[in-house]
Amino acid sequence: MIKIEKRNDVPMALYFFTPFIAIILTILGGGIIFYILGFNPIEALKFYFITPISNLYGFSELLLKATPLCLIAIGLSFCFKSNNWNIGAEGQLTFGAIVGGGVALLFYNQEGFYILPLVILAGAIGGMVFALIPAILKTYFNTNEILVSLMLVYVSKLLLDYLVVGPWSNPEGFNFPETRQFSDSSRMPLLFEGLRIHAGIFLALAAVMLSWFTLYKTYLGFQIKVSGLSLKTAKYAGFKGKTMILVVFMISGACAGLAGVGEITGPIGQLHRMISPDYGFTAIIVAFLGRLNPFGIIFASLVVALTYLGAETAQIFLQIPKYTGQVFQGMILFFLLASDYLLFFKVKILSLKKNELRH
Amino acid sequence: MATDLRISNISKIYPGCIANDNVSLQFKSGKIYALLGENGAGKSTLVKILSGVISPDNGEVFLNEKNLKLSSPLDAKKNKIGMVFQHFNLFETLSVFENLSIDATEDNKSLRVRINEILKKYNFSIDLDVPVLNLSAGQKQKVEIIRCLLRNPKVLIMDEPTSVLTEQETEELFISLKKFCDEGILIIYITHKLKEVLSLCDEVAVMRKGKVVSVSQTQNERVETLANKMVGQKLAKIKKKINISKNKDEIFKVKHLNFYSDDPFETNLVNLNFSVKKGECLGIAGISGNGQNELFQILSGEIITPDASIIFRNKEIAKLNPKQRREYLMAFSPEDRISQAAVPELKIYENVALNNFKSSNFFEKGLVNEKKIKEHSKKILSDFSVNTDNVELKSQFLSGGNLQKLILGRELITAPELLICYNPTWGLDVGAINYIHETLIKINDQEKSTILISTDTEELLKLSDRIAVIYKGKLSKIMPSEEVTPEKLGVLMGGGSID
Repeated sequence: MIKIEKRNDVPMALYFFTPFIAIILTILGGGIIFYILGFNPIEALKFYFITPISNLYGFSELLLKATPLCLIAIGLSFCFKSNNWNIGAEGQLTFGAIVGGGVALLFYNQEGFYILPLVILAGAIGGMVFALIPAILKTYFNTNEILVSLMLVYVSKLLLDYLVVGPWSNPEGFNFPETRQFSDSSRMPLLFEGLRIHAGIFLALAAVMLSWFTLYKTYLGFQIKVSGLSLKTAKYAGFKGKTMILVVFMISGACAGLAGVGEITGPIGQLHRMISPDYGFTAIIVAFLGRLNPFGIIFASLVVALTYLGAETAQIFLQIPKYTGQVFQGMILFFLLASDYLLFFKVKILSLKKNELRH
Repeated sequence: MATDLRISNISKIYPGCIANDNVSLQFKSGKIYALLGENGAGKSTLVKILSGVISPDNGEVFLNEKNLKLSSPLDAKKNKIGMVFQHFNLFETLSVFENLSIDATEDNKSLRVRINEILKKYNFSIDLDVPVLNLSAGQKQKVEIIRCLLRNPKVLIMDEPTSVLTEQETEELFISLKKFCDEGILIIYITHKLKEVLSLCDEVAVMRKGKVVSVSQTQNERVETLANKMVGQKLAKIKKKINISKNKDEIFKVKHLNFYSDDPFETNLVNLNFSVKKGECLGIAGISGNGQNELFQILSGEIITPDASIIFRNKEIAKLNPKQRREYLMAFSPEDRISQAAVPELKIYENVALNNFKSSNFFEKGLVNEKKIKEHSKKILSDFSVNTDNVELKSQFLSGGNLQKLILGRELITAPELLICYNPTWGLDVGAINYIHETLIKINDQEKSTILISTDTEELLKLSDRIAVIYKGKLSKIMPSEEVTPEKLGVLMGGGSID
């Protein structure tokens, strides 16, 4: 018989160490999968985790992919810390990109230093407004934010589809489902010649600093912390629960919107159907792998970004489908949850004789 | 067939605390044994060892000279040791019969026959087919007892069984326990209520700090002698002088308070009207689950009842939230100190910051003023003699008594005009209870008012100037406490009427 008991004292050091255990287990698990698929596991893992970042270009690609993950996860950490389960960041990213992209398209044939800030702002507001939908429905109509935010992902994706094949499609684009190219004034400045890494990374770093300050040094952060630990206490202390739900969703949506606008003004340069390889969903893993801690999230976003890159490299060199990246992301989450479970509970195996089982 | 239970040299050590220190005790059937001790004295650990929930580090348990290996609750059941915990392990939405059949080993038909035999034999009146949520606490307890009796126990352990019962239900319980005892079941009765020990038990073992400090016949003991053994020090008697409050101003007035809830686990409140005078303590008695939770939340502003009128210091506050009510100098100490009044994972100073009143400057321009909060917390810790001065300590490491002192300190440091507390001494030891009672009396002496919602009648009689009883969401008439006796309260709490 198996018995599960809650552990009384969980050391904090171990709490921050378990993500590393999860990563190591993921790599081992990946090795086993490669072995079963008939590849040399050492070599395959090398293609997956080392080759992609063995040169400067690869490293810049890593940062490029980590940027949106980090931004979104930072925003999500506000929601998750306060017990609000926003899992529709992908939708907020898409809607932010639509609004930001719309502004960029308005200025497609113009130049000016003010254009990019406008586009970025529009993207952030777009994500914010889109995140307010589940927040308002939750606070005023008691709906479940998990369902609403998730379903809205498909709404925004279909809206994007409609726009890029319909009203916003490029008149000179031979009916490809994409918009015009944005003008250079709507594009994120590149940091280095020949590399795709762009100024959006500073947005992510600023978000990290700001979120650390907000979460640990402000009254809002205190309210988020208390609400996350005990809603009963938050109510008793007289925190304005509804306002807080709206605020954390707005922060979260704005971050996702920024991530979306960073993608389209950065590496993509226009709107089309595939602006995000599910960054909004993967960022949920990043947020938890980073323990909802701003600096932990930086680290986690780099690790998870590597699974994207590794998947691409493995596809090129080993002809493994790039969807193995999602397998790795899934494994990380699974091992993290499993090691958390073992961290907070202990499993006792009790030996029982057969006749005792009848009691 | 006599039963002989012997505990030999039991020790159980937790990190930083010796829960049981070489405990040896002997029990024989035909007697009712009391195990008396403060919270943290080691009673619960010992009981958990006897019921197989935890294993001792050292020592053995013998039943009729057979060495028992109790490594799980199943072992205890198999060895005919039955246990009724303080908190019931019943499925509220299942019927009584369904609850009893869950771990039964026989078919439903014969089980029903056996249950009916027990009901008849002990004069229990319980409808087997109603959901458990419709039962009173006393009836639920009976269901738990029946569950034990179905297994023909040799030993029956009762853990703080009267904490949720009315006076009548307690009496009924005592009669049943005596019957079980006469039938040869060995009864171990765990409590920290001294009077119960004297009126029910034959022998009493007192535990303090993990050790057995005394074993004696109850006929040789008095309330005072037991209290001294339990606490280990002479207790100062506290007695409240009744406030002559006839001519004083009403500081707080509730009119037409109604509350209706769709939730079957909540109680509706029906037209409550009461007022509190300056310097007065208004006691609200009742068995838990009669609307106290809802009343407390409405008074504190966690539930807003826009149709009611709540006047505090001549202002209408019915629509204000708890924070706003605090600004008007109200303070609140809820029943659930572990997960509502404080957050165990938060540090002491963070828990202090939960009472963020206007002049505290805990948060200036939205920023945390950590220095201010810590200074303030230090003052609370020393003013209210909490046994730590480390404001960085997580409050989960405070004992119940110290946590309650911290919470009261946090609420009182604003010098509120009205403190509303709900079971402020629930589950605390005698020393802490005395401290809290003294504090509450001091508040009234300083011409500040209190509303004391409590399930402990002794506490209410000791502290209140006037008392009302809440039963099924309705409030009885408010009586001056000198006219109230425990018996009267018991009748009202059980839904009876007095004239």
